[in-house]
Amino acid sequence: MRKRSIIQMTLVGVVVGLALAAVAFFIPWLPDAASEQADIIDSVYWVVTVICVAIFALVAGVAVYAVWKFRAAPDDMDDGSPIHGHTGLEIVWTLVPTVLVTFIAVYSGVALAQAEDLPDDHRVVEVTGEQFAWTFTYPDVELENGEPLASGELVLPVGEPVEFLITSKDVIHSFWVPEWRMKQDAVRGVTTRTVVEPSKVGTFEVICTELCGLGHAVMRSRARVLSAGDFSAWVEEQRRLAAEGGSVQGEALFSAQCASCHVLEEAGSQGQVGPNLDESLEGAEEDFVRESIVEPNATIAEGFQPDVMPQNYGELFTDEQIDGLVEYLLEATGGGGR
Amino acid sequence: MAVEIEHATEHHPAHAPPPPRRGLRRLTGAGWLRVLWVMPLSFGLATLLVIGARAAMGFDPLWELQVLIVAWTVVVPLGFLAALGGFDYWAYWISGKPTRPEDHSGHGARTWKDYFRVNTDHKVIGIQYLVTTIFFFGAAGLMAMFMRAELARPGMQYVDTNTFNGLFSVHASLMIFLFIIPAFAGLGNYVIPLMLGAPDMAFPRLNALSFWLLPIAGLIMMSSYLVPDGGAFAAGWTNYVPLAVQQPDGNLMFQMGVQWAGASSIMTALNFLVTIITMRAPGMSFWRMPLLVWANFATSTLVVLATPFVAGSQFFIMFDRVLHTNFFNPEMGGDVIAYQHIFWFYSHPAVYIMMLPGFGIASEVISVFARKPIFGYRLMALSLMAILILGFSVWAHHMFVSGMQSWIRIPMMVTTLVIAVPTGIKVFSWLATLWEGRIRFATPMLFALGFVTMFVIGGLSGIYLGSVPVDIHASDTYFVVAHIHYVLFGGSLFTIFAGIYYWFPKMTGRMYDERLGKIHFWLTFVGFNVTFFPMHWVGLQGMPRRVADYAPEFGNWNLVISIASFGLGASTLVFLYNMIVSWRAGAPAGPNPWRALTLEWQVSSPPPIFNFHEIPQVVGSPYEYGVRGARHAVLNGDRAAVEEREKVEA
Repeated sequence: MRKRSIIQMTLVGVVVGLALAAVAFFIPWLPDAASEQADIIDSVYWVVTVICVAIFALVAGVAVYAVWKFRAAPDDMDDGSPIHGHTGLEIVWTLVPTVLVTFIAVYSGVALAQAEDLPDDHRVVEVTGEQFAWTFTYPDVELENGEPLASGELVLPVGEPVEFLITSKDVIHSFWVPEWRMKQDAVRGVTTRTVVEPSKVGTFEVICTELCGLGHAVMRSRARVLSAGDFSAWVEEQRRLAAEGGSVQGEALFSAQCASCHVLEEAGSQGQVGPNLDESLEGAEEDFVRESIVEPNATIAEGFQPDVMPQNYGELFTDEQIDGLVEYLLEATGGGGR
Repeated sequence: MAVEIEHATEHHPAHAPPPPRRGLRRLTGAGWLRVLWVMPLSFGLATLLVIGARAAMGFDPLWELQVLIVAWTVVVPLGFLAALGGFDYWAYWISGKPTRPEDHSGHGARTWKDYFRVNTDHKVIGIQYLVTTIFFFGAAGLMAMFMRAELARPGMQYVDTNTFNGLFSVHASLMIFLFIIPAFAGLGNYVIPLMLGAPDMAFPRLNALSFWLLPIAGLIMMSSYLVPDGGAFAAGWTNYVPLAVQQPDGNLMFQMGVQWAGASSIMTALNFLVTIITMRAPGMSFWRMPLLVWANFATSTLVVLATPFVAGSQFFIMFDRVLHTNFFNPEMGGDVIAYQHIFWFYSHPAVYIMMLPGFGIASEVISVFARKPIFGYRLMALSLMAILILGFSVWAHHMFVSGMQSWIRIPMMVTTLVIAVPTGIKVFSWLATLWEGRIRFATPMLFALGFVTMFVIGGLSGIYLGSVPVDIHASDTYFVVAHIHYVLFGGSLFTIFAGIYYWFPKMTGRMYDERLGKIHFWLTFVGFNVTFFPMHWVGLQGMPRRVADYAPEFGNWNLVISIASFGLGASTLVFLYNMIVSWRAGAPAGPNPWRALTLEWQVSSPPPIFNFHEIPQVVGSPYEYGVRGARHAVLNGDRAAVEEREKVEA
């Protein structure tokens, strides 16, 4: 009798467990893993998943079995068996979870140490968050004017560990690339850090995950991981563009800072956050273009909100850079009487 | 056909209400007429005070909305409470006026109007709490519906981002501070004195006052939508700085609203603690208390110790905004991350404040409807105390990616995971209580069983988030949204529903409609899972929380989630209809429709005005189902004991 009920209950548990395992393993729960850290974190994820599936199968198995087996007929007014407890059972279900969570804690702790392990030979990239844009600075790449290379998109070589030093100019933001799994808040007054070693070439999204105001949902940027050769070429190209000035520099600035939010046919950009520049700047005067960059709230295109576009491009860029950007935009949209 | 439910006892003539006042004196007596003129008066007074002080200091401009909001949200509620009569007795006593005869005119409800007074009867207060909290539940639920409408498709459709940020901030604040926490306080208020065999709470006047702080808190938070230039507070219910300091004036309404809700919580918790410690009936040792009482004992301790921290955190933001202090301003030596430590030192224990009373309700319901003693009673009570203690040692697991010093993450991860052990003990004990029971699937039991399974899912996703490496990926994504809703909806709300259905016959004297109750459960259960389970996936895939717009690849699942959430919202209408109609015209329930053993079921429904004609004598455990001859308590003195003896002899 007792044996049979245990067999029946085990069957229910196994069926529930298999169904859950199918859901857990056949649906792609995690995005592609594109960093060394992602592989480590995913291994913790799977360890936790195996344990959780087993626990839920046990709970659901017992619950379903008990509900089905011990349901009372409508006219049954009897009470159940007066069982008050079972010391052995209580010890078991105190000790077994203790062992399991200890195992998870140790495994997680070791994995964390591995994920954050940083070889001495690594690249440093400074990440600055502001409402609502990211700036990535490469302190070891010096431009002709003595400034370090700064970009609105994050470009990295594959297979090289990177230490990100992260801060914020205003409120808290959070730097996250889902395919890399690593995430770190950007806090004003503090420099936080995280470590990523990209393991796959590709283009990923940089997402802000800490509520930072009106433009939080659109505070996104691009992370491009290139082969070592392509990366060197990109760095050289940036050097050249910065040295050249004028609309060439403007074009580089546009693709780094503006393309993720605006459509511009000339640049092939598809961003939907802000107005389509081919339309809103068509035949515009130079002053209007300049004002729209340094003081974006002055004129808000229909259907868009103020305060979403960063307010500080006037301080962030040099006059030379802004001149170049304006020149480029006028060329691209046929404005300024051209 | 309406059947009148008779109250078992009339008021003693000495407890009759005072004769009604006449003429102008009606305006000075406690009540809504006095509120009508005192509130505008206190509003004007607060305005004058601020403008006068600013003029005296030579500040410009005189009309500074931030400062005025602080003054209004302090002075006007105080005026309201005083006018309604919340302080009358103390005012008489302090001012040395001839002591009024200690009547009970403010005690108990004769008509519906008595629910709108400062009433000292814990049963009236319990119902005041529940009705008020369900109102705010509806308001916050509607806000969730608006959010889901906006999120049904990617891109912006119905609201702008400022409105959207306001919607989720006010939704969460109302659900937490005006629904879950006080709904449990309301159920506890009604049931705990009855379960203990006490005539009322230890401090009935404090109890009355603590209720009236609630609508104040809720109305302050909701009226933030009316603040010009920016509307409702929109920095999330966590209100992280520096965003909270940068926010428009509406943000102050959160900081001030929380103070009133927090004060209400603390007063009620103190009341519960003193009641539980000092007012147990003879024979009611701690080891004979029902587990709901144990749960509220643990919860109240958490509330008293933790709530001052959230009050402090919000006061600091208010000071930074209004007085230009620099608690959280890094340029002047302040610390941004310090806010999160103070905030979570309350707000993590708050998760247990929102869960432990639900554990208590589940224990009551499962034992009664399985017709079995609760399995492992003492370990159940001790695991509540273990959660209470451990609950204070895990707060920084909300901050694994915040940039705090990194070594703290490991100890906080360990304590977080260890909390799974006492929680697991409770889950396994509930399951074992079902074993060899005679289970009846009335609506409270359905919700209790739904709670056990759904809460396990919420607990397990908590293991993922407790593990630092997984949390680094999953924090601040929809995975967290899924997790908190499995805990607070699948956990807290399911047990609140279980509790309301379970004690509805006791509170109203009438049965709810069982068929509608079951429809409500299944709609809720299915709607809940289809709404919240897919959020785990969209979160892990890369959708951050608190966004009005999202990447197009999440569009289809968000549409599914939105449609399911509308069904979930509609299921609440079934509940409200059932409650309202059954309250008016349900079948009489009798004193003990569930054949339960705890004390509240041994008196009439609704109970007599002072609960028990004679204080009961507790003689055993409250859960001795299936034990022949076992009793929890002897009521009505010798008579019952004599009857018992006669039965045995026969």
